[in-house]
Amino acid sequence: MSATPGPSTPSKKRSRWDADEDNQPPEPQLSSKRRAKSKSAKSETPPVQTLPHAPPGRPEPTHPRHSIFVPPRTLHPTLTPSRSVYCYERLNAIEEGSYGVVFRARDKQTGEIVALKKLKLDEEKHGFPITALREINALMSCKHENVVNIREVVVGDTLTQVFIVMDFIEHDLKTLLTVMPSPFLQSEIKTLLLQLLSAVAYCHERWILHRDLKTSNLLMNNRGTIKVADFGLARRYGDPVGVGGLTQLVVTLWYRAPEILLGATTYSTAVDMWSVGCIFAELILKEPLFQAKGEIELLSMIFKLLGPPTSTSWPDYQSLPLAKTITLPPQQPPQLRQKFPYLTAAGLDLLSRLLTYDPEKRISAREALQHPYFSESPLPKHPDLFGSFPSAAAGEKRRKPFDSPSAPARAADYKLLTEFDAYADAHNA
Amino acid sequence: MSTALYPLASLSQIEKTPSREDGIPFELEEDLRAYGCKFIHEAGVLLKQKQVAVATAQILFQRFWYVTSMKQFGIGDIGMGALYLASKLEECPIRMRELINVYDLLLQRVSHRLTSTSSSLQHRPEFKYIPMSYFGSTFYDLKDALVVAEMQILKRLGFNVHVVLPYGTLVNYLRVLGLTSREDVCTRAWGYLNDALQTPVYALYPVPTIVSAAIFLTTRHLGISLPSSPENRWWELFDAEWEDVWSVCGYIMRLYRERDVKTQKSLWGMLTKKGVRQWLEENTSSDSNTQGS
Repeated sequence: MSATPGPSTPSKKRSRWDADEDNQPPEPQLSSKRRAKSKSAKSETPPVQTLPHAPPGRPEPTHPRHSIFVPPRTLHPTLTPSRSVYCYERLNAIEEGSYGVVFRARDKQTGEIVALKKLKLDEEKHGFPITALREINALMSCKHENVVNIREVVVGDTLTQVFIVMDFIEHDLKTLLTVMPSPFLQSEIKTLLLQLLSAVAYCHERWILHRDLKTSNLLMNNRGTIKVADFGLARRYGDPVGVGGLTQLVVTLWYRAPEILLGATTYSTAVDMWSVGCIFAELILKEPLFQAKGEIELLSMIFKLLGPPTSTSWPDYQSLPLAKTITLPPQQPPQLRQKFPYLTAAGLDLLSRLLTYDPEKRISAREALQHPYFSESPLPKHPDLFGSFPSAAAGEKRRKPFDSPSAPARAADYKLLTEFDAYADAHNA
Repeated sequence: MSTALYPLASLSQIEKTPSREDGIPFELEEDLRAYGCKFIHEAGVLLKQKQVAVATAQILFQRFWYVTSMKQFGIGDIGMGALYLASKLEECPIRMRELINVYDLLLQRVSHRLTSTSSSLQHRPEFKYIPMSYFGSTFYDLKDALVVAEMQILKRLGFNVHVVLPYGTLVNYLRVLGLTSREDVCTRAWGYLNDALQTPVYALYPVPTIVSAAIFLTTRHLGISLPSSPENRWWELFDAEWEDVWSVCGYIMRLYRERDVKTQKSLWGMLTKKGVRQWLEENTSSDSNTQGS
């Protein structure tokens, strides 16, 4: 490993990669690593092909057939150091969050467009931040069609420069909902919700809580597929939960489950399901369901929509830390039907199972996937039939006044596609 | 169930480790790996850290030496960095100040042993820990080393720090073999798995192979017979291959061999990369001389 830079001390030096476009990559180091990688990959592929298809007859005594739980050793990844960020060419900044900057970039070898998320590590007093570790681990263990794909983690010149490389996805659902002229069709909502639920089910089966599901963290490509992104608040759950329980400082307020609002420290997968419920409602309404300014206002909005919790709807309510500090409003019937007048009975049933007070009774992602809502007409639309939209993240839309006005042409073909959808839907029904 | 596969060293990484490339002999590297893992274990005990975090740290530590030479980083620093990192991974983070205090104590203990074993063992002066001053440079030096070590582990392992521990698998296999009622078997096999943490096997073989090896050693020692005729071998049930099981047994048994006082003492001196470099200078100069002439 003499090629990699030695033990450098962390410094505040800004990466040249950030600063200028035309940077000189350390070529020789790169190519040697590539070669090593491809060589090991080549030598390890043949068993992958043959072993799972071993004939069902007598096993060879020296090569036992492998159970699916014990893949052959050659399927395990090798120990591979991080590549340099100079393997990528920076294109444009997509967004800057509280947590890090996201760039669009191009892989210099393959030409693929990727998203690079730069982690903020400058002011760390506790070494590498545990939140970033959780994010990387969660992404690495959740390889799913509807979870944004992590390609690798690359490093810059100093130890403070770490970038997560992910597939570039054109849109986020939040921006899309605000620029779309009309809301998604029921058939489209079903497709999106099914994708979201299968991603959430997958994460939960791998003992990962996302803890920040919201429309702005759902990315969508031009082929009607959504990808759950931003695992910055994700963490493993299980028994025991870890030192000091789980924090309440999770989930963007509008999507936060009532048990977190009331101070629970041992919440679980149900918190994500509440967020899914809020997203479902938002897809129908084309605006967030609970647009509260604070936690108290949010609770009163929830109480108003669903009716205050009772000892039958939420038996554990009184044992939550903050329950004593809240005075419940007088009992009143839920307003869910009035809020969603056009939703079918099955749709309303699913929504109310997602927005159930008692986390124990709230529907799980696996159960929700089987809900009758998805099998009644109109059926979920095939992702290929979704319209495509101009991508704000790729700079295709007018974001700032001085950007080139290329949007109208795109907007026109968007209109065409949605009209086609409406037409197709009317005929399907 | 996590289906993501944990990384293992590749064949070329096993054949020539970076340390051996730098002239560190196979046996010495093995001893230093084991010593570093004992060091992690001692720190874990003093910190009252959970065993899952200590075991994870030891596995990360073992992986690290397949991508880095001990001439470049000290086993002490990397050991502490691994423990610090593993504590975060296992959701039981420790405070940096506490880890550094423990590290400092262990370092002082080692240097005390190094200076006092020259006199006879009976008259060894008692070890007295001198706490570091709160704002002294010791703390900041160790802190810097710790932060660098943690980051280097992450970087050189490509941020793939997924670790799978063997204990659950052992319980399952013992159940399958009908051995759970034998407490001596369970304890002994569990002990072999823990001891194996001081060897590189967790970076080399899949968990089922290592667990099979632990059961194999246990049943051999306790004289329990299991089906092992050529057409009916129990470890094949667990997808382990004989050569691998035997190799893991070898790694574990080599841990228990006697080391003479001189070897032991030279290991203590090689907790830092400085010590390793000094050893290399003293021991390879004659080789290079003979090659030169």
